[in-house]
Amino acid sequence: MVDNGADRGINIFKPQTELMRGEVRVIALVMAAWLVAIVGSQLAIWYLENNIIDYWLSEIVFFNLPLHFWLSGQFLPLWFILLGVIFNLWMDRHESRKFAGTIRYRAVGRRKEEQQQ
Amino acid sequence: MTSTSIQLVPLLMVVALFTLFIVGGMGSKMRQTSDYGFSGNYSGRLGSGAAIASNWMSAASFLGLAGLFYLKGYYAMAFVIGWTGGYVLLLVLLATQIRRFGKFTAPDFVGFRYESEAARTVAALISIGISVIYCVAQFRGVALLVSWLFGIGYQAAVVTGGALVVTFVVISGTLGVVRNQRLQYFVLIVAFVLPLMFLVRKLGYFWVLPQFGYGQAIIDLQNQFGFYWSEPFATISLFHWLALCFTLMFGTAGLPHVLSRFYMAPSIRDARWGVVWGLFFISLIYWSAPAYGVLGRLYDARAGFAFRTPDPMSADAVTLTAALQGGIPVWVVGLLVAGGLAAAFYAISGLLQSGAAAFAYDLYPRLFRSTAADCDKLAMAKGFFLVLAALVIALSLRPVGMIAEIAAVAFALAGNTIFPAFLMGIWWSRTNAAGVLSGMLLGVLISFSSPLLGGLFPVVNTLFPLTSSAFLGAPLVIVVMIVVSLATRPPSSELVGFLTRNVHDLGER
Repeated sequence: MVDNGADRGINIFKPQTELMRGEVRVIALVMAAWLVAIVGSQLAIWYLENNIIDYWLSEIVFFNLPLHFWLSGQFLPLWFILLGVIFNLWMDRHESRKFAGTIRYRAVGRRKEEQQQ
Repeated sequence: MTSTSIQLVPLLMVVALFTLFIVGGMGSKMRQTSDYGFSGNYSGRLGSGAAIASNWMSAASFLGLAGLFYLKGYYAMAFVIGWTGGYVLLLVLLATQIRRFGKFTAPDFVGFRYESEAARTVAALISIGISVIYCVAQFRGVALLVSWLFGIGYQAAVVTGGALVVTFVVISGTLGVVRNQRLQYFVLIVAFVLPLMFLVRKLGYFWVLPQFGYGQAIIDLQNQFGFYWSEPFATISLFHWLALCFTLMFGTAGLPHVLSRFYMAPSIRDARWGVVWGLFFISLIYWSAPAYGVLGRLYDARAGFAFRTPDPMSADAVTLTAALQGGIPVWVVGLLVAGGLAAAFYAISGLLQSGAAAFAYDLYPRLFRSTAADCDKLAMAKGFFLVLAALVIALSLRPVGMIAEIAAVAFALAGNTIFPAFLMGIWWSRTNAAGVLSGMLLGVLISFSSPLLGGLFPVVNTLFPLTSSAFLGAPLVIVVMIVVSLATRPPSSELVGFLTRNVHDLGER
């Protein structure tokens, strides 16, 4: 019976092949780093604002900017770019491995077919 | 910021910039056009990135963000994070698979993936809605700039701006101009950053990287005027700030004209790297935009109004106001205005064309004339473009809010509807037509629940604010999609096979 993929289905929480498991793992890692950076930074800023007296937060200067301006306005976009680069490098390597596997499969598969004929 | 006469030099700069774009588009060697209203010219990863960034740049980036910083300080950081962080979602969850899917528009994707003409129709209507709301935000920016350029009132500027946009699209179409997006991006970023360098240099700050140099203005506001630049969560709760931020991210990953970029990338790797380059180019704008807002405050303080709350209706023009108050050469101000107008014009023309295409190719043949030939559809697209333009002009005559906040409503609608439809369509093959239809309709209801139901049920205003509804709305829509899909018939085995083989490229196990 020809496997057209219909019996398997796609579910991000139940990846069925090793390749997809790898892809989902890196997606989960990047998303976790994305979420922790956004929520974590804002929680930290909120905590400092509410628990430190006066305008202490505005007076911590980093790269010429108040800490919260630097963290949200400069660092987070840079962090997102970095996450994108890491994800792409991993995906490029992941797909190269898969592609190499496909060539091997095709070569073997073709040879088997020729033998059967 | 008012003027009573025509600003001749800036006007000449505007004409020169548009001429450059038109000539640059005509001289383009690589031509890529599409009946769907998306056209472009780029090659490689850098080119894809420039195309994504130039497609993204609009009045909201050029004017709206700085206006919000000027008015509300740190609150506006939600937009910076939302409009950049959304690209991470796009990259890791959608870009590769959308490129493999091979459908040109959001309604096309929804119709094919969910095997449903009804779902396609709803997606087309939502896409048109998003285009109209987003265009209203753009028109506010156009009106502010045109009003200053020609020395006319706001409403006259809306009509004049509308006439100029339509004329621009007709001329571009007649001459067969293709958007030279790489050229466009690099000109626009110079038009945005160069005036900032002039301003920061004139103030004696570190002008080489004004994205950091403007920090001295914050310190000066504190030390010289006793003005502390907005405590982060003084005017908004942490929940609402995060709700706005995540709504903008979900919306970024659900805007039809953004998603359509990935179908056009030359390869899957180009699609992915294009997103990262695009994010870098977009970040250059957002690293710079807060500076205009902060400098606007500094100039106010120097004029003796350190603690005056700016007028929300004029705050959107702070990019221009700051440039004028800073006393930089008039040609630099002209460059800034020309860049802002070009960003808004291209955003409007792209959105109106994609809205018109959604009507002509997705709705018209299905709802009105099933035998429509391609030439009929093209004629309908042109006609509906004019109808949409007239509608947007009419809606823009009365200012309803700030540019970035109006844009945020469009993002919320996209985040509540198109984003869940794409996310579930790609990552859970069991999602079916009934699921996506109920999800998208619920998404529309959630998006407008605050003005519709907020009076009766005040809790709705807290949970689903108009500009921030997708934070809780999108997860709710996804839950409904799952429940309804499980309760109804699964998609066909052909479609599941297509998803497995073609979209996720899993091949044989």
